[in-house]
Amino acid sequence: MLVALSQNLEEALAERGVSFLSEHVFNAWCRRIFEAQFRNNPMVRTWALQHSVTPSEDLTWDRIPALPTEAFKENEITCIPESEQTTVFHSSGTTGQKPSRHIHGPVSLRLYEMSLRQGIVFHRGTRRFPELWSLTPPPEVAPHSSLAHMMGTLSRDPCPGPGRFWGQISPEGWEVDIEGLSTALTTLDRPILLCGTAFNFVHVLDAQPERRWVLPEGSLILETGGYKGRSRVLPRSELHWGLARTFGIPTRSVLTEYGMSEMSSPGYSIPDEPEDHALIQFPPWTRTRIVSPETGRPAAPGEVGLLQICDLANLWSAMIIQTADLARREDDGIRLIGRSPVAEPRGCSLMSSNPPAS
Amino acid sequence: MILPQLFLADLPSDAVLTPQLIRDACIAVKRNRANWLAQRRTQELVELIAFAAERWMQPDSGFRRIALEQGAAETGFSPATLGRGLDALFRQLTVEGLQALLMQDLGDVQRLDGFAAPAAELRQGRLAFARGPEMLVHIAAGNLPNSALFSLVLGILTRSAQFMKLPRNGNLIPRLFAHSLADLEPKLGSCLELAVWTGGHEPLEAALFHEADCVTAQGSDETLQSIAPRLRPGCRWIPHGHRLSFGFIGSDQLSSYQAPRIAHRAAADITAWNQLGCLSPHVFYVEDRGSMSAEGFAEFLAAALAERETTEPRGPLPVGVAAEIAGRRSLHELRQAHHRITREEAKTVPRGAFFEAPQAGTRVWTSPESTAWTVVFEEDPRFRTSCLNRFVYVKPCRGLEDLLRHAEVVRGQVSTLGTAVGESRLSEMVPTIAQWGITRICPIGRMQEPPVGWRHDGRPTLGDLVSWTDWETV
Repeated sequence: MLVALSQNLEEALAERGVSFLSEHVFNAWCRRIFEAQFRNNPMVRTWALQHSVTPSEDLTWDRIPALPTEAFKENEITCIPESEQTTVFHSSGTTGQKPSRHIHGPVSLRLYEMSLRQGIVFHRGTRRFPELWSLTPPPEVAPHSSLAHMMGTLSRDPCPGPGRFWGQISPEGWEVDIEGLSTALTTLDRPILLCGTAFNFVHVLDAQPERRWVLPEGSLILETGGYKGRSRVLPRSELHWGLARTFGIPTRSVLTEYGMSEMSSPGYSIPDEPEDHALIQFPPWTRTRIVSPETGRPAAPGEVGLLQICDLANLWSAMIIQTADLARREDDGIRLIGRSPVAEPRGCSLMSSNPPAS
Repeated sequence: MILPQLFLADLPSDAVLTPQLIRDACIAVKRNRANWLAQRRTQELVELIAFAAERWMQPDSGFRRIALEQGAAETGFSPATLGRGLDALFRQLTVEGLQALLMQDLGDVQRLDGFAAPAAELRQGRLAFARGPEMLVHIAAGNLPNSALFSLVLGILTRSAQFMKLPRNGNLIPRLFAHSLADLEPKLGSCLELAVWTGGHEPLEAALFHEADCVTAQGSDETLQSIAPRLRPGCRWIPHGHRLSFGFIGSDQLSSYQAPRIAHRAAADITAWNQLGCLSPHVFYVEDRGSMSAEGFAEFLAAALAERETTEPRGPLPVGVAAEIAGRRSLHELRQAHHRITREEAKTVPRGAFFEAPQAGTRVWTSPESTAWTVVFEEDPRFRTSCLNRFVYVKPCRGLEDLLRHAEVVRGQVSTLGTAVGESRLSEMVPTIAQWGITRICPIGRMQEPPVGWRHDGRPTLGDLVSWTDWETV
C-alpha cells in the first residue's frame, strides 16, 4: 500500500503539485499517509496515541501531532522494512551530538528527489536553471549528507548536468577547493547556480577578502544556512551583502534554502533586500503551523512560536515534524526568527548550557 | 513612589556614560567614604543594615512594594516568588546574624574598628586589625538579586566606597536596595554608586577597574576570564563563576508519610527564584532500595509542584526560553513513548533496528497547557543539567558513592547538596561529600536560603574582602 501511495504522490508532484493547493485534496493525502504511517511506524503511532489521535475519515492535517525532530536522533523513524533500506542521511550536528537519521530505500528516494526538483521549480516558477556548482562535496563522496544528495539531484535536473562540486572532505570536515573554484570562476562564461552551506561561503569570503568576481547575468547563489561551528557566524544580511559584492550579482539573486535532514521538501526565501530573518516559502505539498511553546497550541497570528511542517513527501518517515526553529507567520511566508537551544546538550553539558551565577 | 536621581543607574536608559563620569563617580564615593563611612563603628553599621532589612520585610514598605510590583515585569519572577526570595535574605540580616558573620570570618566583631583578638590570640600577646578595601567594585549578574544585595552589605561592613556595575536586565532590585539605604542614611547612600551598562564596555570598565582596590564579579566563565587580566596588579579579585546544585534523598526517609513532605520541601527549592540560582537543584537523586521507588517520589514531586504553582506561579517566559523547555519535554516524552513501545509492542511489531537499543524508563509529568513545571523521572542515573525555570530530574541511585560517581561530570562546579537523610547516616556521609568537593550541605527545603555566614563557593565572603595588620605586642 505504501509503495502505491508513494508512486501516486510522486506522479502528483510531477505535475508541479498545483492540485495540493486545494485544502480538501491536501487533507485527503494527509489522511492516507497518516493512516499508513500509523500502521507501519511505531513511533508515529505511539506519538499519535499519546495525543489521542487515530486515523479517521474526517481527520485534518492540523489535528495530527507533530513529531519533534529530536525523534530522528533517538529512533529510526521509518516505514521502510530493514531489508529494503539502502540509504541513510545523517544530520550534520555539532561534534558530540547524536545525528538525526533519515532512512531511504529506492522508492522513497525517488519521491524525495521528485520533491526536491519540483520544489525549486515551483519556487522559481521556471524549469530553466543554469548549471549547478556546489561548494559541498559530491554525493558519492558524502553519501550520508542529504544536502550533497540534494545538490547531486538538482545538478542533473532541473539544472543542465553534470554540475561541478568544489567540496572535499578533510579531517576538519567539509572544505572548499578555493583555488580551483577561483580559477574556474575567472574564466566562467555562462550563468551558474552556486550553492553551499553558510560556512562554505564564509570560508570562500574569508580566504580572499578582497577578491571580486562578476558572475554572468542570470546566475544565482543559494546558501543553505548552517555554521556548525565551522566558521565565524555572520548575520544573514551581512552574508548576503558579502556574497552579492564578492560575486557581482544583485542581492535579490542570493537565496536562502531552509531544509534539514528530517524533511523532504525544503523551503526557499523570497528575494529580498537582505534581512537577518529570512522569509521562507514552502512548496504546495506542505503546510506549516506555528505553535506556542508555552501551551503547545497554535500561536496567535503574528506571534512567534515553534515551526511545525507537514510535508507529504515525508511519506516514508513522519509526515508532520516539529522543528526547533522559532518563526512567525507573515502574509507571504514564514519568517524564521531563530533556533531554540538544542534540546539535549551532550557530554558535560554544563559548558554549553551555562547555568546562571547565584 | 518616584525614586530620586541618586545614582548613575537612575539616569534614563539612553544617557551616555563616559570614562570621565565613572572616574568622577569613584572619586566622589571615595571622598564621601573618607568623610563619613570610614569613621563609623561596626555596631552602628550592623544596626543600620538590620534596620533596613527589617523595613524590607514589612509588607507596606514602599521599596518592597515597588520591587514586587515592577520587579515582576523586569525579572519575570511572580511577586510571590520575588517576595519569598527577598525575605530569605532579609530574614538573615539581623544584628545577631551579622555579628555571627563578623565573628566567624574575623574572629572578633570589633576587628574592623580597631586592634582586637579572640582569647587564643590574646594569650600569645597578639592583636589584629582588619581593613576593608577603600574602593570596592562589584560586577553583578542579572539572574537574581540577592547576591548583589549581599555584596553591598558586605562592602558596608568593610566601610568601603562601592561601585556596582549592573546588567541591563535585572537591575531594579539592587537599585531599590541602594535607594532604601540612602533613604535611611543619605551619607551612606553617598558612598555607593550604581551604574548600568552592557558588560564588556572596554573604556568604561577600564576607568572603573583603574580605581578599584578589590573587584567581585558574578557571571559566566567567559565573563570572569575577560575581567581578570584587566585588573591592576595588587587589586584583589573575587570571582564567582557558575555553580549548580542537586539533592539526595536517602531510602530511610521514604516512608509513605515522609515522602510527600520531602517532595513539598524539594518543590520549595525548585520554585525558589524559579530554579535560576546556583543553589537551585537540577536533579534529585533518590536512593532506590526502600519502600518507595524514585519514580514514586517523582510523582509526589509533580503533585507538590502543581500545588506550588497555584500559590506561587512561575510567571511568563520569553518565547525562546519556553521553546527550550518545550524541546526538552518533547525529548523525554518521546523516550517515554518509545519505552512504552519497547515494553508493550516489541513482540508484536518486529522492526529490527528500531528496537535495537531499548532505553531505560522515562516518565514525564508536566503542568497542563503551560511550561510552568516539569518533572522527568529517568532510570538512567547519569547526571543531567536542567534547562531550569522549574524543570527538574528525578533519578535513582544506589547510595552516596553511586550518586557521586554519576555527578563526576560536574565535579568542582557543585555548590550545594540538599539532603533528606537520617541524622546518624548523614553524619557518616558528610566527610565523603566534603572530600569530593561540594561546598555546602543543607536540608532539602533550604537550598536557596543560605545563612549570612555561608561561605560562598567555599570561601569566607567577608574574610576574603579584608586585609590584616597583625600586632605582636610582646
